[in-house]
Amino acid sequence: MFIFITVGLLLLTALFLLTLRFMLPDFRFAWLTATGGAFLAWISVFFWQTGMPASVALPLWQPESVFRQSPLFLADGIAWAFALSVTTICLAVIITSVARDNFPSPLSWIGVLTLTGLGVLAVTADNPLTLVLLWAAIDLTEMTSQMRFVENPRLSERVVISFASRVTGILILLWANMVSASEGFVLDFSSPPPRAGIYLIIASALRLGVLPIHLPYASESSFRRGFGTALRMISSGSSLILLARIPPDSVSSSITPVLTLLVAAAALYGAWMWLRAPDELAGRPYWLIGLGSLAVASALRGNPIGATAWSCALILCGGVLFLASAKSRWLETGLLVGLWGISALPFSLTASGWVNPSGTHGYIVPFLVAAQAMLLAGYHRQSQRSAARTSFENQPIWAKNVYPLGVYVILLTILLLGFFGWEGTLQIGNWALGVTAAFLMVGVLWLIPRVRLLNPVRAHWVRTTDSTQPDIIYRTIWTAYRAVRRLLNAFSNVLEGESGIMWTLLFLVLFISIFSQAAP
Amino acid sequence: MNAPTIWILTPAIFAILLMPLRNQRALSLIGGVFTVLLAVAAQFVPMEQALRLGTLSLRIESSLNILGRQLVINPQEGPLLALIYGATSLWFFGAEASKSALRFVPLGLLVTALMVASIAVEPFLFAALFIETAVLLAVPLVTSIDKPPGKGIIRFLIYQTLAMPCILTSGWLLAGVEASPGNLTLAAQSAAVLGLGFAFLLAVFPLYNWIPMLLEESPPFTVGFLLWILPTATLVFGVGFIDRYSWLRTSPQFVTALRFSGLLMLATGGLWAAFQNHIGRIMAYGSIAETGFALLALSLDSRVGIPILFLLFPARALGLAVWSLALTILKERSKSMRFSDVRGMLRIAPIAGAGLALASLSTSGFPLLGGFPARLALWDALARVSLTGAFWMGVGVISLFAASFRMLAVLSMADEYAGWEANENWLQALMLGLGIIGLFILGLFPQAVQFFLADLPAMFEHLGQ
Repeated sequence: MFIFITVGLLLLTALFLLTLRFMLPDFRFAWLTATGGAFLAWISVFFWQTGMPASVALPLWQPESVFRQSPLFLADGIAWAFALSVTTICLAVIITSVARDNFPSPLSWIGVLTLTGLGVLAVTADNPLTLVLLWAAIDLTEMTSQMRFVENPRLSERVVISFASRVTGILILLWANMVSASEGFVLDFSSPPPRAGIYLIIASALRLGVLPIHLPYASESSFRRGFGTALRMISSGSSLILLARIPPDSVSSSITPVLTLLVAAAALYGAWMWLRAPDELAGRPYWLIGLGSLAVASALRGNPIGATAWSCALILCGGVLFLASAKSRWLETGLLVGLWGISALPFSLTASGWVNPSGTHGYIVPFLVAAQAMLLAGYHRQSQRSAARTSFENQPIWAKNVYPLGVYVILLTILLLGFFGWEGTLQIGNWALGVTAAFLMVGVLWLIPRVRLLNPVRAHWVRTTDSTQPDIIYRTIWTAYRAVRRLLNAFSNVLEGESGIMWTLLFLVLFISIFSQAAP
Repeated sequence: MNAPTIWILTPAIFAILLMPLRNQRALSLIGGVFTVLLAVAAQFVPMEQALRLGTLSLRIESSLNILGRQLVINPQEGPLLALIYGATSLWFFGAEASKSALRFVPLGLLVTALMVASIAVEPFLFAALFIETAVLLAVPLVTSIDKPPGKGIIRFLIYQTLAMPCILTSGWLLAGVEASPGNLTLAAQSAAVLGLGFAFLLAVFPLYNWIPMLLEESPPFTVGFLLWILPTATLVFGVGFIDRYSWLRTSPQFVTALRFSGLLMLATGGLWAAFQNHIGRIMAYGSIAETGFALLALSLDSRVGIPILFLLFPARALGLAVWSLALTILKERSKSMRFSDVRGMLRIAPIAGAGLALASLSTSGFPLLGGFPARLALWDALARVSLTGAFWMGVGVISLFAASFRMLAVLSMADEYAGWEANENWLQALMLGLGIIGLFILGLFPQAVQFFLADLPAMFEHLGQ
């Protein structure tokens, strides 16, 4: 029941703000209302602890003879950790918005609150049907919000590409359902059939939200920092929950080793690009790729708790870095808590990240540790770049006082999740790998000023005219697409032309002949 | 009083009476309210039972004799009539918003009454005549006095008319099969001719090329209505056929043919949709894929397939209604329905653009929208019997999604900076808004329509058990 209280608080606040926007456009306490709603929702997540695990079912889909599943929600330790992370980001985005140029921005708060509400429902989904419905709701909300905020209509295409890449993840999850059905099973998170686990991992990876690489806010860094952060983190959280739901024994497949290697390569690529990113917002997609890959690798190695830990670190440690936009010494120091969060050292949020209960795929561990070290080094470099942040001085006094609370709440949650509330707390974990990564990070930081290769590259998202590698891929796909279109158009023209009826009948006879030959 | 008089003759006479009326709003409202009343009566008024209204006792008989033939509407068919007239009311209420009510409401009501008659007539052979009459009446619906009929209309008339001799011949052959059940050659011949008749009626691949042509040259709203009523009634008529003949029901070749045709329609419909540069033609291929879904449902075990088939109908009706109304609104504001002319229309007509995108996504099977539950159930049931079949269904679904994404991208991309401005009038916005809400309700709570659908399989003596 607490699930719906949290979600209800978030969605009702969004609805209230939306109503105010039409009825009282000059309402002065919109921020206070949004913050109040988000804060109450955040507090309500702690009350979940009083009755976990708790299951809530919606009315059954009918006819029951054709629907084998109906929407179902489960609040357990893993869902709680995700829900707390997501609501924390929501609260922090709204609180820190006081220091941004576009303040006040009720429309973006409505978007963030709605997305968070759907995100909380998604992380509590207890079967693929529920998750698919919520993914779809999140995707539609995201697309609508992005379309609304994109000023340049030419950039709308990126919004649609982003939407399409996420829907591909939905289709893969549905395909996992079909594969299970063909084997006589009903796809369920608690006991997915052996071949389905791999599809679940691919679906989750595709939905991480890294395609297209950058959101379409080239000129609007306020949106990129506030709303963009919420968008990226919440949708990643709703996708990564799938990794945490995959039981260890359902990922064994003939393609698992190949997939594991691919994930290690993705982790190295993401971490390397993150290390060399010119600023944290430009590097955000690589942060998602890097830490998302570590989460996927944990799932592939049969460690769903580890996958949860990396996922929460992705949301919270990333969130605090991307939201920190003010120049301040305390901020630089505070952000080091995020470094602790992804360190995988004992009692940290990611302490369970390197546990490998099945003992499989040990050969990729060195690559993954190297990736973690680069992610740590990149995080350290970005968190200590105070010169790149805007000054606080021209902000009103209340904003100066309120803004840090937004950052503190995330830092507090990072520490809290290491000690309280779910299966991954108070873990010593594989501390040796955590320490190795920490030493490697120190080494990389020492090398950065000395090795030119490790220096940041320029922000490539502003390069719109150059021919980049993705452009070549798009061009190739487009050329193939046009070739197929010409072929299909030729066929349509034949059937729709003057002699179309004769051609149609000829094709009909041809198909009947083929079919009668093929039929038993 | 009898059921055929209430649900066939009365609407037909009422449609003729509506013809002189020249007020769009009045026609739309009268037509809409009248069909709603017919739907409510079909759902709630019991047939073959005494109905007491105070001192008055009323009994609605299920049959009517005309010229030695019978029109029979059984009590189990009440929910089907409610579904057909309920969906027709959606179109009639939307007719004013599409500015097509003058001809659409009277002719549409007449077409609906004739299609109901095609389901009700005994012997079933005469259904072909009712369908042909409905097709002939549909011609003035999609043509204009101002310009000569296009190739699509002529093609539509030819293909639908070719179905009639096939159905009539198959009826004659089937009488022979009933007389001598052991004659396998005669059975095969009658099945082939029957299949050909239904292939023409349902526009099975490659006989569907009139649909995209028609949507290029005729008003989308009226074409959308025809793309809903003709296949829906034909499918029910076809299921009746399958139910009647046990040799047809139990034939493995027949099941394979249905599955093959369904997959072919779905895959080709989806694939062609993905490569179109015309939003009207995309809707045409979407409706072709819809028929593919229905044929696939028919190819499954009837205990699962028939409920799925009926689950497909409301989503198809609502999806096509929203889609065709949105197309009509966009067509009003652009030179043509080609991609080059509708670029950036989402900012000029956001509600119509959203309606178009959502209706198209619903047809693709996007979760949350009306089309999803039935497609999920169908895909799941198909995967249980054939993973290869499920794969090809997946190909069709992915292609339909690709078409939706392309359309969405084109509608959202403008050449220059443009603000958001809703240019639809209040009625168009209201009708589209209600349609979109309906799509979400159907997608989230498929049990909401079980009120109509739960008892529908019982109208088939063998398949519904």
